[in-house]
Amino acid sequence: MDFVPSSDRALATTYDAHLMRRQTPSAPIPIKIIIAGGFGVGKTTTVGAISEISPLTTEAEMTSASVGIDDPGPTSAKSTTTVAMDFGCVTIDQTLKLYLFGTPGQSRFAFMWDELIRGAVGALVIADSNRLNDCYASIDYFERADMPFAVGVNAFDGHLAHDLDEIRWALAINENIPVLRFDARDRVSVRDALLVVLERALDHAVRRKPIRGDAGPVHMGLP
Amino acid sequence: MEPRGVPPYLSDPAATRPSPNCPDRPADPAATLALRPFVITAGRVIGDDTRMGFETQVSALPGARPARLTPEANAIIAICQRPISVAEVSARLRLHFGVTKILIGDLHSAGHIIIHAVDDESPDPDTILRVIHGLRAIF
Repeated sequence: MDFVPSSDRALATTYDAHLMRRQTPSAPIPIKIIIAGGFGVGKTTTVGAISEISPLTTEAEMTSASVGIDDPGPTSAKSTTTVAMDFGCVTIDQTLKLYLFGTPGQSRFAFMWDELIRGAVGALVIADSNRLNDCYASIDYFERADMPFAVGVNAFDGHLAHDLDEIRWALAINENIPVLRFDARDRVSVRDALLVVLERALDHAVRRKPIRGDAGPVHMGLP
Repeated sequence: MEPRGVPPYLSDPAATRPSPNCPDRPADPAATLALRPFVITAGRVIGDDTRMGFETQVSALPGARPARLTPEANAIIAICQRPISVAEVSARLRLHFGVTKILIGDLHSAGHIIIHAVDDESPDPDTILRVIHGLRAIF
């Protein structure tokens, strides 16, 4: 709870804690899921289908490196660019709020994901069955980052160009990574896709820290 | 809500948003425009609170109505009357995310805003289970 950079840190922290106990309702714990995938694959549609607010946009400075076709070689400098990110949220209860952040899809933004995924529980990588290679960068990134994720194939017009087994083969992803079909416009379908991500996140978290066993509310970060 | 006093170029998202297809083309005039929001922070681009993430909750201290603040700072305090994420403050006030973080950090240092930091970066299994149960119950 201490965010005071000055030498009065101890005093100010006590002051903060005092005021919070007396007057401030505690804030919900934010839980973050990343919605990733190529450009125009339906990230914002997915966020909008389930969010209780219309998707909002924040613009952030991101460090990027020129890679791929315009790669000038090993001397390439990182550059800073402004990226628009769409997000939405779902209030689970008074103490928990789920946030969904759509990432810019281009692979050149891989660097900025480090900041965005910090603290995230997992990711849904959205794939278009006609343009599968657009999601390679996302999958590669989350595998390296050891971030739990699932691949959701957006069935734009009710059918897929390839079946899920073919898509799994084409993406060369591990058997234990879920590949599912969903409709980005449908709230229940998006909810179910997020549940698959959350189940993966749960497995991942249990491996690091076992469940305590009681079902009571958990309070983190607040005194 | 539209805060009073925010410069018009910040109120027009198209003015600072580069084309999604070539967002960092050096010749793009947007590249120079992107620096302008930081005029509000007196040129500072790094805030005090590097632990503030997109989803970090912030709220104004009750009764915090300081008299002499910039329009942006006043707008932030007004929108933080209930807990809200830093990303939402940025989006609703149409302030650049980096600028928002710095301004919130300043307001925190000055004792006007509480940053509800979550100490443990990775959510524990119990919390994830509650999200799963909650999502199933809501829809």
